[in-house]
Amino acid sequence: MNEAIDFKIVEEPKKPLAMNPKKFGMWLFMASIFILFMAFTSAYIVRRAEGNWQLFELPKQFLFSTVVIVLSSVTMQLTYWSVKKELTQRVKPMILITFILGIVFLFLQWLGWEEMVGQSVHLVGNPSGSFLYIITGLHGAHIISAIAFLLIVLHKAFQNKFDSVQIEICTTYWHFLGVLWLYLFVFLTLLR
Amino acid sequence: MNWIIWLGAVLVLVILYMIFKIGNLVGLVKGKKDEEFSISWNNINAYLFMAFMVFGLIGFFWYSFAYFSDYDPPVASIHGKITDDLFWLTMWVTVIAFTLIFIVMFWFTFAYRYDKSRKAVFFADNTKLELVWTVVPAIVLALLILKGLSVWSDITSPASKDAVVVEMVGQQFLWMARYPGTKDKELGHHNYKLIDASNEFGLDLTDKNSFDDFKSLELHIPVNKEILMKIRAKDVLHSVFLPHFRVKMDAVPGVQTHFKFTATKTTAEMREELNNPKFNYEMACTEVCGRGHFSMKFPVVVDTEEDYNKWLASQQSWLSQNPEYMKYVPAELKEAAMIKAGIPLDNAVTVQTAAIK
Amino acid sequence: MATLDVHHQTEIQHHDDHGHDHEHHGNFWTTYIFSEDHKVIAKQFLLTGMAWALIGGVLSVLFRLQLGFPEANLSWLKPILGGWLDSNGKIDPEFYLALVTMHGTIMVFFVLTAGLSGTFSNFLIPLQIGARDMASGFMNMLSYWFFFLSSAVMFVSLFISTGPAAGGWVIYPPLSALPQAIPGSGLGMTMWLVSMALFIVSSLLGSINYITTVINMRTVGMSFSKLPLTIWAFFLTAVIGILSFPVLFSAALLLIFDRSFGTSFYLSDIYIAGEALPNQGGSPILFQHLFWFLGHPEVYIVLLPALGITSEIIATNSRKPIFGYKAMVGSMLFIAILSFVVWAHHMFVTGMNPFLGSVFTLLTLIIAVPSAVKIFNYVTTLWQGNIRFTPAMLFSIGLVSFFLTGGITGIFLGNSAVDIQLHDTYFVVAHFHLVMGSASFFGMMAGVYHWFPKMFGRMMDEKLGYLHFWLTFVGVYLVFFPMHYIGIAGFPRRYYSWTAFETFSGFADLNMLVSVAAIITLAAQFVFLFNFIYNIFRGKHAPANPWNATTLEWTTPRLPGHGNWPGEIPTVYRWPYDYSKPGSKEDFIPQHIPFSETPESNLPSENDQIKLELGGVGTKH
Ligand code: HEM
Ligand SMILES: [Cu+2]
Ligand SMILES: [Cu+2]
Repeated sequence: MNEAIDFKIVEEPKKPLAMNPKKFGMWLFMASIFILFMAFTSAYIVRRAEGNWQLFELPKQFLFSTVVIVLSSVTMQLTYWSVKKELTQRVKPMILITFILGIVFLFLQWLGWEEMVGQSVHLVGNPSGSFLYIITGLHGAHIISAIAFLLIVLHKAFQNKFDSVQIEICTTYWHFLGVLWLYLFVFLTLLR
Repeated sequence: MNWIIWLGAVLVLVILYMIFKIGNLVGLVKGKKDEEFSISWNNINAYLFMAFMVFGLIGFFWYSFAYFSDYDPPVASIHGKITDDLFWLTMWVTVIAFTLIFIVMFWFTFAYRYDKSRKAVFFADNTKLELVWTVVPAIVLALLILKGLSVWSDITSPASKDAVVVEMVGQQFLWMARYPGTKDKELGHHNYKLIDASNEFGLDLTDKNSFDDFKSLELHIPVNKEILMKIRAKDVLHSVFLPHFRVKMDAVPGVQTHFKFTATKTTAEMREELNNPKFNYEMACTEVCGRGHFSMKFPVVVDTEEDYNKWLASQQSWLSQNPEYMKYVPAELKEAAMIKAGIPLDNAVTVQTAAIK
Repeated sequence: MATLDVHHQTEIQHHDDHGHDHEHHGNFWTTYIFSEDHKVIAKQFLLTGMAWALIGGVLSVLFRLQLGFPEANLSWLKPILGGWLDSNGKIDPEFYLALVTMHGTIMVFFVLTAGLSGTFSNFLIPLQIGARDMASGFMNMLSYWFFFLSSAVMFVSLFISTGPAAGGWVIYPPLSALPQAIPGSGLGMTMWLVSMALFIVSSLLGSINYITTVINMRTVGMSFSKLPLTIWAFFLTAVIGILSFPVLFSAALLLIFDRSFGTSFYLSDIYIAGEALPNQGGSPILFQHLFWFLGHPEVYIVLLPALGITSEIIATNSRKPIFGYKAMVGSMLFIAILSFVVWAHHMFVTGMNPFLGSVFTLLTLIIAVPSAVKIFNYVTTLWQGNIRFTPAMLFSIGLVSFFLTGGITGIFLGNSAVDIQLHDTYFVVAHFHLVMGSASFFGMMAGVYHWFPKMFGRMMDEKLGYLHFWLTFVGVYLVFFPMHYIGIAGFPRRYYSWTAFETFSGFADLNMLVSVAAIITLAAQFVFLFNFIYNIFRGKHAPANPWNATTLEWTTPRLPGHGNWPGEIPTVYRWPYDYSKPGSKEDFIPQHIPFSETPESNLPSENDQIKLELGGVGTKH
């Protein structure tokens, strides 16, 4: 059954690509996440329009976490610029700060949940509360994935490897989740 | 009447025979002559397509005309006649289109089968042609849509005020009908938390409209009067389906849906028309709901107005059949409840004491 | 079974376009099991898909036995079905529903999505656009293994004591949310949801890869207007997948929370098994909206690859350019967009706002126009062709025939007023089995027959292919055509038996015919299986370009190794449909032949491109 022909592959001249495939793949991945959250927010709107919708205060912690995530986007961008300008000694601290801000964001979200529990809004109960838990929870899960990604980049940085494409992708993803949170925050504030 | 099976079997056999007769399957095992492309096989396939087209169409038209009445449930509602007309209009339009394209397509496969001496024509596009066959179907569809939308908006428009109201409740695996009663003609409130073994509707007896509501295990409706069917479910999705009235509407727990229609033929008239003294209207469930989905039958009777009124008068309110539930009626409404429910007032004492116990 | 195809890879030094190093001293595991080679992954998808098709087919025959021969004693199936048969040898009604549910799920997702798209997108995208492999071989491998895991979970769920999910492939809650309502909604449903979540991950990984590859890795000269229609179809399919599967995920996630954590997204006012549930404020209809927002695009995810495959095969075997290439691409694009705005035509009688019903009627019937255009274009491609009936061609013509027959009935169903009577009857079953199920299945078969020589380097037997085709073609019509009549008569779907109603009791003959035809059709698939497996080992060696086709995959060696082309990847100069070009000696001119070499057949505009060609080649080196 050994009939395949052996052959050598001649090295190709690099083609001018529209975009790095990995970067492009990340954009597609973000598109699908975006759709996922569009589905949830649409479901939220549809369900809310049917009435029997319990009102409660959006926890103020979410406002703080919004600030934190915007800050973290700034530091992430600084990381990227540092790599671009090859200021490698600035990369590690910047990633570290971003990482910490990410954790703080998650912590604030958690406090937000505790605040909701304090208002007697539980996961089980009126869908208005359930939706909030699910949407913030799912967003948080994505933040965790971004933090994991960040850790990989950090790990490499400690080995003094700086893959600018990887860091760019990580930056893009981080910004995306920040913008996604902004959207969710505004959405949840306006449509109580 | 097993002939259909035979027909199918014979058809299959014929094909098998043709293939086996000419084909040489042994060649597969023995290793065959290296012919690149077999023109005779090509022709056989082309002829088979022709045969398929001709016999397929003949079978389709013949069976449809000969047996269609077996598959066309007689229609007995006003809107049903209209949707049936639309159905048949669509049928004619599409069957004509289907037949033409079917013939043309298989004719092409036959007529342009491989021929060494011919070269295919390099014909890559033709804007005019493509425009025509985009626009023509679009126009035909537009006409069908227009008709459809006007029918749809009639069917879904609000029912008139004096429509006869009936509530259908679906549960695993049976239907129940609730009538608003003869005194107030309004359905009483219900609440699923009040449901128990006897109070199957979850009637809320603090609402005075519920006193004369009654339950029925048959759907009785008067002929030529608008019926407003209110529909709900207790456990999972069900769907009300009245095939002869062209009525279908899901029953959804937590949501009330409705459908309005007017029956045009009484059960007796239909029996006469079909020459079938055993004919009965039926209601079925068309949303899968579990084990007994296939047997959620509910008998339906269309009465003349007179018979309907007689039937109405003979029905007893739910409360009068379950007098122990008087205890849920607020004290100030008790007397009204007994009058409305048709419980004789001299029973009042016993009912009261029962309630106290 | 991917082991059957041996690539000798140890000698290959692979230089990747994008600079990460693979280990190519493949042992058995990295070469066949955790391979990152798109061709091996394609075969893995194909074989898994075929296994599922067989399982799905057997399930359907089981429930057809019940419908066709309600009196029959099936005790001889006891060894397989065990407790699902009662003492009279009858299938249990709940098991009947489980069979229907699993059949639908398996066929729609595992066979016609993963088996079809997974196989041919993986196999053909790099080969036809001129790439060494997918953008990310690793993600591609993950995509298969997520699918495999998903398959494994679903497969195991078939054997658990409470049975697999049984609420229909659309898993409408509350039925799917409440184990009290049907036992299949217990563990079986949980496994269904887990399996589907894995499946969605697999599908997204695949789609991201397909899109990235098509956009970024085309060879020199392969502009979008020169892409074969197959690639257009796979590309649009992947786009639809990325936009719709996350929505199914959201629907499933909310259902998981309702089932396991007590939330009330879909549940409200339920009294079941003698108990009023606490859930209030949910809406079962919300689930249907979310589900069908995926569900309708999903039917095109299933169909478009099949349409792409047949476009290619019909053009090749008619020895003619596909008629109206631009219109074909345009209608696919239009269908892809419109498929997102018609979902509620599955919900006309759920009590939704009647005005919405009107809007969706309108949008639904608009989508019939591009479908019609595609049929006309196929038929015109046959006109004045020089048609060779290879098995692939037969199956492609079969697809067009089914697409026509089933598409026509969509026009009834799309009209909300007519749908009132037809919804959830066998008319719908007939509609979608013809237009989606059978058409896509035929597309898949056509693809296997056509690309088998490239996949395995050998030829399949043509005569067995004819036999397989004719039995299946006639069989499918005999199975699904009669269902229209039964459906018009009002017989509802998912009924265990029709005898409970006088209205539906008259179809014993037709139901028996359908069941017999179904059994024959399933049996015919074994002809194919034999042909397939036997010729992987013993088939005649395939020539490099057995069908005289124009696309790039036929410029590879008989059995391309990792990297696909020894030496350089060919440059593309022309569109893929230069068949029977006037003036040319051969009746086909492959895509990599420059116009400068074919002065005798060039059109005037093409002569102008010769200059560009020279320039293009020049800069390349
Ligand atoms: C000519 C264009 C088409 C129109 C107007 C159309 C219309 C419809 C409508 C209105 C329904 C819902 C029927 C009901 O449940 O009452 C339906 C069901 C369905 N259609 Fe189509 N359709 C078309 C083409 C297609 C195509 C091309 C496919 C697949 C590739 C497809 C697959 C399905 C499936 C799978 C269902 C049933 C799903 C289920 O209920 O389980 N349809 N179609
Ligand atoms: Cu049911
Ligand atoms: Cu649809």
